[in-house]
Amino acid sequence: MFLESVVNQLLRDTIRPAAAAVLCVLLLPAESSRAGSEIYTNAVRPLLAEKCVSCHGAVRQQSGLRLDAGSLILQGGDSGAVVVPGQPEESELLLRVTADDPDLRMPPEGDGEPLTREQTDLLTEWIRSGAAFPEDEPIPEGPSSHWAWQPVRRPAVPDVSDPDWSHPIDAFVFRSWQEHGIAPAAMADRRTLLRRASFDLIGLPPTREQMAALLNDRSDHAWERAVDRLLASPHHGERWARHWMDVWRYSDWDGYKMAVRGSQRHIWHWRDWIVRSLNADRGYDRMVTEMLAGDELAPEDPNVLAATGFLVRNYHNSNRNIWLDATVEHTAKAFLATTINCARCHDHKYDPIDQREYYAFRAIFEPHHVRTDRLPGQADLMQDGLPRAFDASPDAETYVYIRGNEKHPDKDHPVSPAVPVVLGGSYEPAEVWLPVFASWPSLRDFVVEEDLERAQQQVRAAEAKVATLTGADGAEASSGPAQEALHVARLKLASLQARLEADRGRAGLLPDSTPALQKAREQTALQKEQEYRVAAAELNVHRKQAGLEAARSIDTEPERKKAIQKAEKELSTAQKELEKVRQDAAKDDQKYTPTGKHYPARSTGRRTALARWIVSRNNPLTARVAVNDIWMWHFGAPLVENVFDFGMRTARPEHAELLDWLAAEFMEHGWSMKHLHRVILTSRVWRLSSEVTADSAEADPDGRFLSRARVQRIDAECVRDSILAVAGTLDRTMGGPVVPFREADESTRRSLYIEHAYEKQATMLVLFDAASPNECYRRSTSVIPQQALAMVNSDLTVRSARQAAERLSQEAADADRFIERAFLELLSRPPNPEEQAACREFLLQQTDELQPNRQAVSEAGSGSGQTDMSPEQRARRNLVHVLINHNDFITVR
Amino acid sequence: MSVPGSVATRRQVMLRSGLGFGTTVLASMLQRDAAASDALSAAARIAPRAKSVIWLFMIGGASHLESFDPKPALNRYAGKTIDETPHADILKSPYLENERVVAFDPNNGFVRTECFPLQTRFRPHGESGLEISDWWPHVASCADDLCLIRSMWTEDSNHGAQLQFHTGRHRVDGFFPTIGSWAAWGLGTLNENLPEFVVMGTPVADCCGGQEAHRANYLGPQYDGVPLSVDPHNSMPYVSRDPQMQAREQQAEFDLLRRLHTMTAHQYPDDTALTARIRSYELAFRMQTAVPEVVDLSQETAAVQAAYGVGQKETDVFGRQMLTARRLAERGVRFIQVYHGSNGGAGSWDAHSNLRRGHARLCRQVDQPIGALLKDLRQRGLLDETLVVWATEFGRTPGSQHTSGRDHHPYGFSVWMAGGGIRGGIAHGATDELGFHAVEDRHYVTDIHATVLHQLGLDVRRLQVPGRKRLERDFGTPIHGIIDA
Repeated sequence: MFLESVVNQLLRDTIRPAAAAVLCVLLLPAESSRAGSEIYTNAVRPLLAEKCVSCHGAVRQQSGLRLDAGSLILQGGDSGAVVVPGQPEESELLLRVTADDPDLRMPPEGDGEPLTREQTDLLTEWIRSGAAFPEDEPIPEGPSSHWAWQPVRRPAVPDVSDPDWSHPIDAFVFRSWQEHGIAPAAMADRRTLLRRASFDLIGLPPTREQMAALLNDRSDHAWERAVDRLLASPHHGERWARHWMDVWRYSDWDGYKMAVRGSQRHIWHWRDWIVRSLNADRGYDRMVTEMLAGDELAPEDPNVLAATGFLVRNYHNSNRNIWLDATVEHTAKAFLATTINCARCHDHKYDPIDQREYYAFRAIFEPHHVRTDRLPGQADLMQDGLPRAFDASPDAETYVYIRGNEKHPDKDHPVSPAVPVVLGGSYEPAEVWLPVFASWPSLRDFVVEEDLERAQQQVRAAEAKVATLTGADGAEASSGPAQEALHVARLKLASLQARLEADRGRAGLLPDSTPALQKAREQTALQKEQEYRVAAAELNVHRKQAGLEAARSIDTEPERKKAIQKAEKELSTAQKELEKVRQDAAKDDQKYTPTGKHYPARSTGRRTALARWIVSRNNPLTARVAVNDIWMWHFGAPLVENVFDFGMRTARPEHAELLDWLAAEFMEHGWSMKHLHRVILTSRVWRLSSEVTADSAEADPDGRFLSRARVQRIDAECVRDSILAVAGTLDRTMGGPVVPFREADESTRRSLYIEHAYEKQATMLVLFDAASPNECYRRSTSVIPQQALAMVNSDLTVRSARQAAERLSQEAADADRFIERAFLELLSRPPNPEEQAACREFLLQQTDELQPNRQAVSEAGSGSGQTDMSPEQRARRNLVHVLINHNDFITVR
Repeated sequence: MSVPGSVATRRQVMLRSGLGFGTTVLASMLQRDAAASDALSAAARIAPRAKSVIWLFMIGGASHLESFDPKPALNRYAGKTIDETPHADILKSPYLENERVVAFDPNNGFVRTECFPLQTRFRPHGESGLEISDWWPHVASCADDLCLIRSMWTEDSNHGAQLQFHTGRHRVDGFFPTIGSWAAWGLGTLNENLPEFVVMGTPVADCCGGQEAHRANYLGPQYDGVPLSVDPHNSMPYVSRDPQMQAREQQAEFDLLRRLHTMTAHQYPDDTALTARIRSYELAFRMQTAVPEVVDLSQETAAVQAAYGVGQKETDVFGRQMLTARRLAERGVRFIQVYHGSNGGAGSWDAHSNLRRGHARLCRQVDQPIGALLKDLRQRGLLDETLVVWATEFGRTPGSQHTSGRDHHPYGFSVWMAGGGIRGGIAHGATDELGFHAVEDRHYVTDIHATVLHQLGLDVRRLQVPGRKRLERDFGTPIHGIIDA
């Protein structure tokens, strides 16, 4: 037995397989077969899985050969046996992996590195020892039976004997407990539950009043009422928006100085759309559809166009391939938990997705681009505007990049848009003809009105100026320049009007138009435009001449000389400009300048078709993936561990039936997320205590069987928002432009609104594991000393502790009462007697320590600050500061 | 991120055995927990040769041709195009295919063909006679400690190569754990008062990887490089006590917090996150003192400060960083990454024109402090256990650009190592006659990673976490030829 344990030890150590193989040759025959089988399981199978199985496995069977199970290896392929037990030199498998000829050697060039000497030694020894494998080794299932790709059917809710566990979620979980002999934890108490629900649904701690309301509600529906109240809060949308923003990769624009490199300015309109949609309980299906194709579905509705921020976010200025690769990868991961990105350079190694299918998926997005539309009231797009997606090049071709190398597109075989075949369903794009204002956004009523109004204002201002000048001294001469300016303003207005008329004609907005009439309109527009331009250039020259005169009349040097030089230079530039404008006006090939950009009148409908396919009742993944995410955010862990990969590497989860039931329930209730939240929060499983009993630690060590709640560290945003909430300073304003990330410590807005982009994130949030703007399908929860430093030393916590202490002192003069209220506010529970005593002692000692006569001896150089606080109040500030730093302030139990 | 599961069990045992939770017991448990988490990675260990790494990175692409790889042929062929030299086949090499472009840059990143003569002279130094340029006199005076690696290559012909040098992946492939984070992840700390991976200098600009050049990505934020400034008044975010709080006052707060946490730990003995949180507060408390202390150079003698160039205009900043680097290494910090030449864009070493003036100036900023560091480490007996690496993202073209500079050159460039069990006084690998392609003992950047990690005692092949498959090339191969037997 000693020998066996030595071998086992070695076998676990796959890094030294050769040594293990050598050792096993020394074994007795009876143990040899068993050891061979263990070598297979521990070393050979992982090696084959890494090197061979992507082409010789359940997904693909090149040459009819599978190498993903011992029995299949011995069975061989189209050309016969590949392994002859006991005879490595007769085994084709070995010959092929050791061949010198690159045409014969496996894996083929480009599909993986050749095997190392140790690896081929391992195979040799395994075959020599008899090529044993465990008799009960299962044959890996093929794609057609992979759990995640089966249609969602609502499973029957198990009939459980105990009526307490009849809620559908409870029934599924209860059955699993029975099967595994697990006893669940007790139910959590109401205080713990309300704190848990409040962070879960609105991301803020419960107030004392809310707590009291629940504790005093003796009705049967007290809990349901509490859940409904939280779901009705506008903060609910803010809390859950942040979850989806992780998965949908929300990012504000990034770049160097003013140049945008990624995402777009004003993308926060999309964030506000998410918040609004969640608060309004818009169906998930509709949200997905609008994010992918809002521009095709409601081309003129800014409230829907904002949703396409999902696509806009992928914008990347330097390389269109990076942009589209990100779009493909994350659309597939976010909605379908499919790693289609693995098929960019070669066929997917684990799932039946070919490289060509990657590019077919890319073709769906090939025509699209981003632009920023004007919004009412703001003509300056640097200030505000609506970034949105649209099909800019409906006829753009997509090519397969050979081995993923963009330098080698396969131009002979353009790819048509399609979705991966393995996921089933039909993909049928139909072209969409856009309404006129979608392709001529500059002709929308509010744009025209605002622009005309601005031009008219300029005229009125010029008129007023002339009137003042003429009225002041009656001298015609002095109003000359003003007269000229008025003339120019009028010409500018006339030019705008004529160009608008020409644009309208082009856009087909004028009834009974003819080509001749349109030609005349465009001629007029050109003429008016040129008149304006020449006049404006002349005015500029006159102004510069006046400037030169003024410079000459300066009577100090060297100011005079400098001013003259500058004025002469400006005059010369103005004269050149005038010359150019005059020359242009004299040419006869000129065309008028339209008032805005004109975009294609048709959209390919490819993205609409994609969205329809994704949210189809028959798509096996969409609802399962969404429900899994939602479950994760309620419980702290998902049902399917790998939230972005439901492919063949992900085994059927423990609670697969529960997942399917939830998916069916979700779809059949209009994809309502609030419905799902209600169902989950009213289950007993969600309301279990997190206390670990000796039994549950044994039977369910990692909580996989849901026999107790998970203790969770609250998210970065919740940490910061909670500090502001207990201070009473939280600004509850919703929506709007971002708070610059450098102002995060001073700002009192919710963390959701703080700038969030590559290299532009608030330190406090990053320290507490905020989402990476680049990708975050699941938050991590680290425990690092920099978190403690931030909680101890940031102005935010010190300031907030003081504010909270002041607020609480107004309600509780008495120290014991203050302590109790502080615990209730910050930890949502009263202190136990031991804690109460420790805090009372602390307040007394600190108050004493901080007496003014003692202050004098405080060390030199340290900030003594805040002398306006009484020692009592300062001690209370310290106590609240300690509670902000308490582990349980940032923990939900 | 994950907290070792064994902690709870051990705590339960203690509780059941009737042990109390006094501060002393807690403190000793915290220590043991730290030891336990170190033991987790023990399987990936081999015998270490170095305890710490000081990693110096010149941002922008320092010229190999004016530093550590003399190519007199360039003087001979100055003004001729490569086609006109006997080495015309250089331009047909398959190595040119290794280049991967992110975004076409119409100005930079081209093969320049008109041979540009060396802008400074080379001389042999030390007993080894290693040839080093005149711009590096102090480093050259340590020639017998240096192992020059003259056969590096990378893929990115633009400055994304800065990120690539730290992750081993091209910028287009995204972000990955960096060399320093792997070291921290694999080794754990030797000092309970300081982070294990510290970064100094202004990081790579966001064009070229930004903070991701010292982050841990999927290994988790506890393995990110922790930025440290040599400004004694602002050495780390939130490390200084808020001015509204006195030291005594804060001490009292920590005491109460510890009491309350201990009570909570009694109530939830299985809460491993709570244990970790308690430990993090202990470390944070010590960091408040230890971090300002480590950047307090007044503890060093005037002679030492002067040797590093502290107080002299050109060398002051980098001199402080080098001296602080030594102090960090002394205190057991595992990985100390120091950036030089960050300028908000490509980096100051990016000598497209005026190479002579620019490089000479930059060398004056770093040469003396690096030389002082090497000598100081040797004198204190620390060089054997401290591995110093000097690197840059790529070299510069043998051909000229704008008549006075050199363009980006990913096909062949130099780095060097010293100490930490690396053989001194040798040059390893070589570029061709014109310094164009690495031709002998070619090394991609991850070979440097593998060598560094190997010297730290890590089996590079074990540096992988479940669900995050690394490619063959990500691991690299230790350069056994340069390791002291």
